[in-house]
Amino acid sequence: MNARLDTFSYDDDIVRKFLFATIIFGLVGFLVGLIVALQLANPAFNFGPILTFGRLRPLHTNAVIFAFAGNAWFCGAYYSTQRLLKTRMWSDGLSKFHFWGWQAIIVAAAITLPLGYTQAKEYAELEWPIDIAIAVVWVAFAINYFMTLSKRRERHIYVAIWFFIASIITVAVLHIFNNLSIPVGPLKSYSIYAGVQDAFMQWWYGHNAVAFFLTTPFLGLMYYFMPKAAERPVFSYKLSILHFWSLVFLYIWAGPHHLHYTALPDWASTLGMVFSVMLIAPSWGGMINGLLTLRGAWHKVVEEPVLKFFVLAVTAYGMSTFEGPMLSIKSVNALAHYTDWIIAHVHTGALGWNGFLTFGMIYWLAPRLFQTQLYSKKLAETHFWVSTFGILLYVASIYSAGITQGLMWRAFDETGRLQFPDFIETTMRLMPMYWVRVAGGTLFIIGALIFAYNILMTWRRRPAAYEVQVVTAAPLSAQPAPHHAPASGGAFARFIGMGWHRKWEAAPLLFTVMVVVAVLVASLFEIIPTFLIKSNVPTIANVKPYTPLELAGRDLYIREGCFNCHSQMIRPFRYETERYGDYSKPGESVYDHPFLWGSRRIGPDLAREGGKYPALWHVRHMEDPRSLSPKSIMPAYPSLLTNPIDFGGIQKRVDAMAMLGVPYGEAVNKAEQMARDQAQAVATDVQKNGGPAGLQDKEITALVAYLQRLGTDIKKPAGVAVAPVPAKAGGN
Amino acid sequence: MRSLADVVGASGLSGYAIVALILFFLAFVAVAINLLLPSRSALYERAGRMPLDDLNPQTPREP
Repeated sequence: MNARLDTFSYDDDIVRKFLFATIIFGLVGFLVGLIVALQLANPAFNFGPILTFGRLRPLHTNAVIFAFAGNAWFCGAYYSTQRLLKTRMWSDGLSKFHFWGWQAIIVAAAITLPLGYTQAKEYAELEWPIDIAIAVVWVAFAINYFMTLSKRRERHIYVAIWFFIASIITVAVLHIFNNLSIPVGPLKSYSIYAGVQDAFMQWWYGHNAVAFFLTTPFLGLMYYFMPKAAERPVFSYKLSILHFWSLVFLYIWAGPHHLHYTALPDWASTLGMVFSVMLIAPSWGGMINGLLTLRGAWHKVVEEPVLKFFVLAVTAYGMSTFEGPMLSIKSVNALAHYTDWIIAHVHTGALGWNGFLTFGMIYWLAPRLFQTQLYSKKLAETHFWVSTFGILLYVASIYSAGITQGLMWRAFDETGRLQFPDFIETTMRLMPMYWVRVAGGTLFIIGALIFAYNILMTWRRRPAAYEVQVVTAAPLSAQPAPHHAPASGGAFARFIGMGWHRKWEAAPLLFTVMVVVAVLVASLFEIIPTFLIKSNVPTIANVKPYTPLELAGRDLYIREGCFNCHSQMIRPFRYETERYGDYSKPGESVYDHPFLWGSRRIGPDLAREGGKYPALWHVRHMEDPRSLSPKSIMPAYPSLLTNPIDFGGIQKRVDAMAMLGVPYGEAVNKAEQMARDQAQAVATDVQKNGGPAGLQDKEITALVAYLQRLGTDIKKPAGVAVAPVPAKAGGN
Repeated sequence: MRSLADVVGASGLSGYAIVALILFFLAFVAVAINLLLPSRSALYERAGRMPLDDLNPQTPREP
């Protein structure tokens, strides 16, 4: 027994910093969400070229995920970790570096995304210098966190911290591997992966970003703050451990369910579905564990707004994690994929689970951190009801919109033809629901403003100087006491009696290694075959790299965020092939760095767009979509007709593609001249058909060249020949 | 010369996903058994109370 006693205090200043950042960036993220909702209801809310839907939508998702939810996680983690380990953070300097570094990254995202700098990967849009900054800040956070664990004064590591450890480790792995790219400029890069492999990597990342940024860290917060608020221990600590390991074992496999019926190999898609369906068990185990923590305390829910927020958050978690496995079932996914149903699903989780857990946590934290009473319990109650009603309006309307969309896309009339062949018909049907969503989102934001006001007023009541509480605790002995295995009773009895899991629980390094093994093994068994077994991506002899001008046009397509509304992936269903053309093949996107399959169809699929309309149609359509399609909700891009093409930068981009294994041949030496020649031909064609003159050096010409190329290779007369080629470093 | 893709492609790797799945399942069962032992109940009950006290380490202390 150690007789020495240490005295120390917790660093609450860092918690307060993250608390304010959560509120500020939460409001920004919600507001941008409202703007993009308005843009879908009425295109007049697009203010190009910077404030268009394609550029703002990633800003909304990044702000809500990484700025609001991220800061909320860090806020709760810094508060709970110190108290659960009975120690101060290892380094106040690293804590501050984490805080300011993370906020700088958020500001960089808020500047670069509207300017069109994007990698075109959902939730991983930020360009390579910011990705490096994220890695550096994350390493600082991890070092500080693990060093804090090493100097703890509690032997047992509480389960909330397991969730934080798994999240820190897994987010690092996901971030590094999904963002591997070749820079071609200060804020431009190409993914080293292409087509099917890039899609696989992206959704391995995308799904697990939801899992390990929005789910597991918030479960950690739930397991700490719910017992705090209810003033009773978690219903079953054993269940929380099962919850943890089963999530870690299962989650990492589930990503491919985002790619059902695409060009992804079927085995990977099925594997993702099976693991996703299994996820319902631990998720509901966790939900039940959270709700039953309130056993015997439900009367407090009536009186205490904090508990109201927690109950709704955990209920939303249960609903989302029931719906997620259901959506991963292929037949359900066939209806839901690309529709607003997915948006409704995501918002049940983001607004209900992440949002309300954060609100509840901050209402609980604010009086303790500011050492005063909450300014108004009544305002907190008002916030709860206003935002709850807002969520209900939001999800009810968007579920209806999604299902309507899915059913209309697949409807045939009695003659066997598409009942709604014009895509715009399906869009117009959604307009009332889009306005209801705006109303729901507005209510949610009003609630958030009430929340911000309440916390601000609480902060204003703080004492002149915060009282620093001094804690006294004995340090741990250098080595844990050995656990004695039973001497008899057979091998099985000795195995289960060894207490090896207890050793893991008290050894953060070993525990972390086990988590890493679970995550990596699952990842590698899905990723390696997809990357290295040639039969998964049969190449097509006719498919050639984009010309230098088309590549430049593709980069403009990425800059404007067209992939946020238009997919390039026709699924093998009759209702899709009737509407768009032949279904997409894996070999068609082998030169696509990055892939642009998209995940949503606010507008029609563009995989076979090439040659459907003359070049002049595209020029007119981009300049003013409503001149050709009066009800279109697409933003106008008149600046494309005046902005010059960056011919000087094309060679470098072609060279980068060649480095990634794209067989560019003669373009490696004369990309710029080839681009100028093709631009002249496109501009001449536009002018000959009555369009404006002088477009040969304007961005619109490059974009039109790209759009006119889409899906045309496979239509060429030579036919389709399956000819495996050696895999390149980039995974082609 | 055979590339890595040739080697991996010929190795029938997709079957190993099943092996990994079985190993994961066995590990999970082992954790569950270890966890549900009646002898662990007192330990976990105490651990479950950890969030309720910010100032004092749990007692009796694990050395």
